[in-house]
Parts: sequence; structure tokens; C-alpha cells
Amino acid sequence: MKKNAVYSIWFAVPALVVFSIFFVIPMLISFFFSLTVWNLKSFTFCGFDNFRLFFTEHSMNLSVRNTFVYAAVTCSAKLILSFFIAILLSGSLKTKNILRSIVFFPTLVSTIAVGITFSALMHPSKGLFNILLQSLGIAPVDWLGNTKLALLSVAFTDVWKGVGVATVIFLAGIQSISRDYYEAAVIDGANYMQQIYFITLPLSKPARNSIIILALIGGLKSFDLIWTMTGGGPGFATDVLASVIYKQYAAGFYGLSTAGNVIMFIFITVIVLPLQQYLIKKEEQ
Amino acid sequence: MKKNLKTVVSILFVCVLCGSASAKSKKTTLTMLISRDQPMNGIQSVCDKAENTLGIKIEMELSASGTDFDNMVKTRLASGDIPDFIVYNTGSLLAPLNPEDNFINLSNEPYAVRINNAFKLSASINGKLYAVPFGLSQVGAVMYNKKVYKKYGLSVPKTWKQFIENCDILKKNGVTAIIGTFKDSWTSQVLFLGDSYNVCKAVPDFSAQFEKGNMKYAATPAALRSWQKLADTTPYYNRDYLASTVSDGCDKLVSGEGAHYIMLTDNVLPQIASLYPDKINDIGVFAIPGDNADDNGITVWMPSGIYGNKNGKHTEAVKKFLNYYMSEAGLDVYCSALDVISGPMAVDGYTPKGKRIAALADMEAYFKANKNDAALEFKTAVKGANAANICSECASGQTTAEQAARIYDEDCRKQAVQLGLKWK
Repeated sequence: MKKNAVYSIWFAVPALVVFSIFFVIPMLISFFFSLTVWNLKSFTFCGFDNFRLFFTEHSMNLSVRNTFVYAAVTCSAKLILSFFIAILLSGSLKTKNILRSIVFFPTLVSTIAVGITFSALMHPSKGLFNILLQSLGIAPVDWLGNTKLALLSVAFTDVWKGVGVATVIFLAGIQSISRDYYEAAVIDGANYMQQIYFITLPLSKPARNSIIILALIGGLKSFDLIWTMTGGGPGFATDVLASVIYKQYAAGFYGLSTAGNVIMFIFITVIVLPLQQYLIKKEEQ
Repeated sequence: MKKNLKTVVSILFVCVLCGSASAKSKKTTLTMLISRDQPMNGIQSVCDKAENTLGIKIEMELSASGTDFDNMVKTRLASGDIPDFIVYNTGSLLAPLNPEDNFINLSNEPYAVRINNAFKLSASINGKLYAVPFGLSQVGAVMYNKKVYKKYGLSVPKTWKQFIENCDILKKNGVTAIIGTFKDSWTSQVLFLGDSYNVCKAVPDFSAQFEKGNMKYAATPAALRSWQKLADTTPYYNRDYLASTVSDGCDKLVSGEGAHYIMLTDNVLPQIASLYPDKINDIGVFAIPGDNADDNGITVWMPSGIYGNKNGKHTEAVKKFLNYYMSEAGLDVYCSALDVISGPMAVDGYTPKGKRIAALADMEAYFKANKNDAALEFKTAVKGANAANICSECASGQTTAEQAARIYDEDCRKQAVQLGLKWK
């Protein structure tokens, strides 16, 4: 029995080695360097100064709040939209396959390209969105310049881009629900809405939980789209944790930005780990 | 299918290798990393001439601009992927690059004595010179459309109060008083940084004390004034100022849609000169006014420097090229390729030969009267890394002048700590 256990561990060794080299060791090294002032060639130990400096950063409170808001908005929007799109696409639509490709296509495009395109579309005077609004007689909106609206505009673009993946996951989840349930429900006289509420919704829980976790982590980590569209601006209005860290890295403060990364790691873990436990427990019920 | 693709790719690869090998045997190929925001005609023609006369071919690597270029240079230096030449700022931005480890010491080169002292100061660390001036010096000042001024009967303001009055008149008449191009976020800093002449005139030892951490912007009234001026500009920008770029700004200034553009002259005048050659003389320059009508001075930006890679394989060729570039012949090639001469060259005893413009005459008036001073970032090593965002926040009205000054002081403190300066 013991021999079997040891034998099977050997199969895991290559993966474990790769995992340690590329994830565990760099993580431990970064914990070390977050306690130093570092310019990649030499370092001076400075204890928790970097962490203190990071927390007194001017845009810190705002960026933590923005990170939360951004993650929550994109996660919930992706979840709800993808659920309905998946239901639509798992029905009996003739153009189902083409529609699935169209829905999934934005995920394949480079995030930077999406960011640049949507920035151009959202230009206050030359952008297509405002030209459309003006032709309908509505006043133009400063999508990326209005400090209250900018983050939501970027979130909208993120949802546009990310809804495809969530839809695919939901599709897989929905299609794995046995037809028997629906037939039984029809016999009992359930209409379409009731079928969705009592059968599809509860039985697609595993898919739903995956999407929640993935979208939330992605939203909390999100950087490239925000950076391309607003650069954290106007001023600091759309700064999120990742862009604050990036700006410090760009300025050459490598120790400080490593400390920021450690903070972000702890932040995401503290949010996602309990959430995951909660969702799994509910799933098992 | 896969096999065919592999063969094609490997054949192409071998061809490229052969190609580059044979190219190397004929002449030395050097690489130059330069931001795409820099004016290119001058350096391109010097490189072309150098290819013919010296057998040195220079490949330009055009890169991002602003903080992204900053990031690119720092990362490449730190990771060891260093090109033979880098065109980068001098002054406070030089210190974090570890010049002693990375760049060739040019202090003993034959042309070093002819380089202007103010430039030498900003391109040296610990007394060693690391760069030659890239192109012309420029000023950070208010560029204005002379035709618009004439139309509304305005005169060049001598105090900040007069400037705001001019802006009010322009705004009332439907003209954008101040052009904002904050999509290129670095441009939001120019008003704040360009006020340096006024700050340093009022507090002569500000730069030295600021570097030591003894004087702060929030606590020094003359310095706080710079932030107050920035806050004053909030109502005068064009509606799309957060989405406009430098190119948009140039277009607006020339067309008269906007009257004032507070920017670095070298990023605007050459562009206008090449796109609108018949309108370049409509643009004038005046210094950012202080509160004293009798003392109007202009803030000078040292040009970027060309740095040579100390640890590369071609240091001799690098030095040879720089020698040629700094010779009278080389400088003439550079200047004659420019559309217009938009400022002086930081080389003593050398007058750029080329097309003169109205704005140049405006600038020279300040130099002749000795009313010019280098910007603060060329006198001290400390400049907050988030200056652009803080300025943009203040100019767009999200923070007050006092708040912005405090935030900037904190930002400078962060950089000072990373540079090893002991700030409280």
C-alpha cells in the first residue's frame, strides 16, 4: 500500500518541480525583496518601510476601493450576462454555432488592441459612441474623462471582452444537465421561466462557482485594460492596486513595487479563499 | 503541412543569419533607443552622413513616450539588454539610471570643453559627464497664437493676473483659452515645472534646500504659487482636454481654436513647422508670468542627452560617432536637417544655421536679457515619479492647490528615500 503511494508521487514530481521553480521560489524571493530598497543590482535591507510607504500612498485608499468596485462590477455583469446568453445559445437556435463564435471572439483579441479601440470609440468629440448619442439628440458623455464614469466605462469594456469565456463555461455546465429533469418538469406543467429558475439555475452551480472565482480574481488583478484606456487617470481616478504597483515599478522602485505585489497577493487570497470555501460548501449541499 | 512550415522557417532563419553576418563584416551596426516623441530629422541625417563617412550604421529603435519610455529604459538597463546609444533626459531623471555603471564617461573627450556649463551640470553625476546634447535647448513656456491675440486686442501678459484676464476675454469670445492635451499625461506638468524661474527667483536657494528635504512645496509660499497657478487654469481648457494628444494640441494652436498652449517648445514648434510651414510664424512664445511685472524670465529645459553604452561591444565606434556628431560639421548637418531652428544649441560658440522663426526671436529676447533659468529638475535629483498624475489631478479640479502640493511633497519624499537621500 505504502509502495503504491510513493510510486504515484513520482508522477507528480515533474509538475511539482516546475511549480516550485516558477511559482513557489519566486514567491519566496519576492517576500524577501519586498523588505529591501532594491535596484536589481544591489539592495539595502529596510524592513517594513516599503509596506508603510505603500499604505501611505496618496491614491492607496482610492485604488483599493476602485479595485473592489471594478472586480465586483465586472464579476457580476459577466455572471448575469453570460448566464442568459448561455441559455439562449443552448436552446434550439439555427444560428447557434455562429453566434457562439461571435460571442467568444472578443476573448481572442489582444487586450491592448481592445483598449485602444474602445478609447478611440469613447473619445469625447470624435468617438463613435458620442457621435451616435449626438445624432439621437442626447448630450455627449465624457466616458473616460469623467472621474465618476471612467472606471465603469473600463469595466464595461472588460465585460464585453470577458463575457465570452464565462458563456462557454456556462454552456458546458448547462449542457451537462440531463434532459430528464426538463422532461419531468414539462410533464409537471412548468413553463419556460420556471424551468430555468428551478432546474437550470441550481444545476449549473459548479459552472457558476468557477465563473465567480475566475472573474473575481481576474477583476482584482486587472491591469492591462485599465492602463491602456486611462493610464490610471484622469489624475488617479481609475487607479487600481495593480496600476499603483506598476507605476512604482516603472519609476524603478523595485523593492517598493515588490512589496505592493505581496500586499496584492495577500489581499486577493484573503478575499478569494474564504469565498471559495463558502461556494464549495454550498455546492455540496 | 507542419513539416513544410518548419523547413521554410529554418531556411528563412539561415538567410537572415547570413544576411546579418555579411552586413556586419562591411560596417559596424549600432543601435539607438529613442522615444518617438523626439524630433527625428536632425539625428536621422547625422546618422545617414555617418554611415557614408565613418562606415557606422545606426539602427533606430523608436519607442514609447513619457513614463512608458522611462520604464522601458530603466528595465532594459536593469536587465542588461542595453542598446549602444540611448537618447534620454538629463537632470534628475539621470540619477536613477546608475550612469557610473552603464554609460561611457565623456569628460575627457575632445569636445567636452565646448559643451555649455548648464548642460554639463545636468548631464553629469559626481563630476563625470555622460552625455552630449541631443538637439536644441528648449523652453517650457506659453506658446500663443499671435493672430488670435491681435484679433481680440490682447497684449503679452507680464503678470499671472494679466494672463488670467486675457484667458477670461478669450473664453467669453468662444476661444479655448488654454489648450490641454492630457491624454499625453506628461504635458500636464509643464505649467508647474515651467514656473521654476519664478520660484527660484523668489527663493534663491530653493533647489539646494529642496534636494536636502528642508524646503517643501506646501510650506514655501513662492513654490505653492506654482500649484495655485495650475489650479487657476481649470476653467479654461478645451472640452476634450483629457483625450487630446500633443498632435491635437498643435492643430488647435495653429488653427486659432485655442489661444495658449503651455508646453515644451521642442515638442510643438518643429511639428507645426513641418505640418503648417506657412503658419509657423503665427506662433509666439512668452514666459509663464510671475507676480512681478518687472521680472519676467523663461524656464529652460536642457535638451535630452545621447548616452553611450559602457558595457557594449562597440564602445570605440560609439565614441567615434559622438566625436563626429559634436564636430562643427556634424552639428551643421544636424541643424540644417531641422525644419526650423527652435532654440539655441547647448554648445558654446556655436550658432545653429537654419530657418529662423518668430518664436525663436521671442525666446532669444529672454536669453539676451539674461532672464532665463534651468528648470528645477536639472538642478536637483529629486522629482516625484507621479508628477504628471498629480498635476493632471490638480488641473482637472479634482484636488486643490494645497492638497496637490502636499501630495507632490510626499511623492518626492518617496523618490528621495529610494535614491538614498535622508528626508524627514
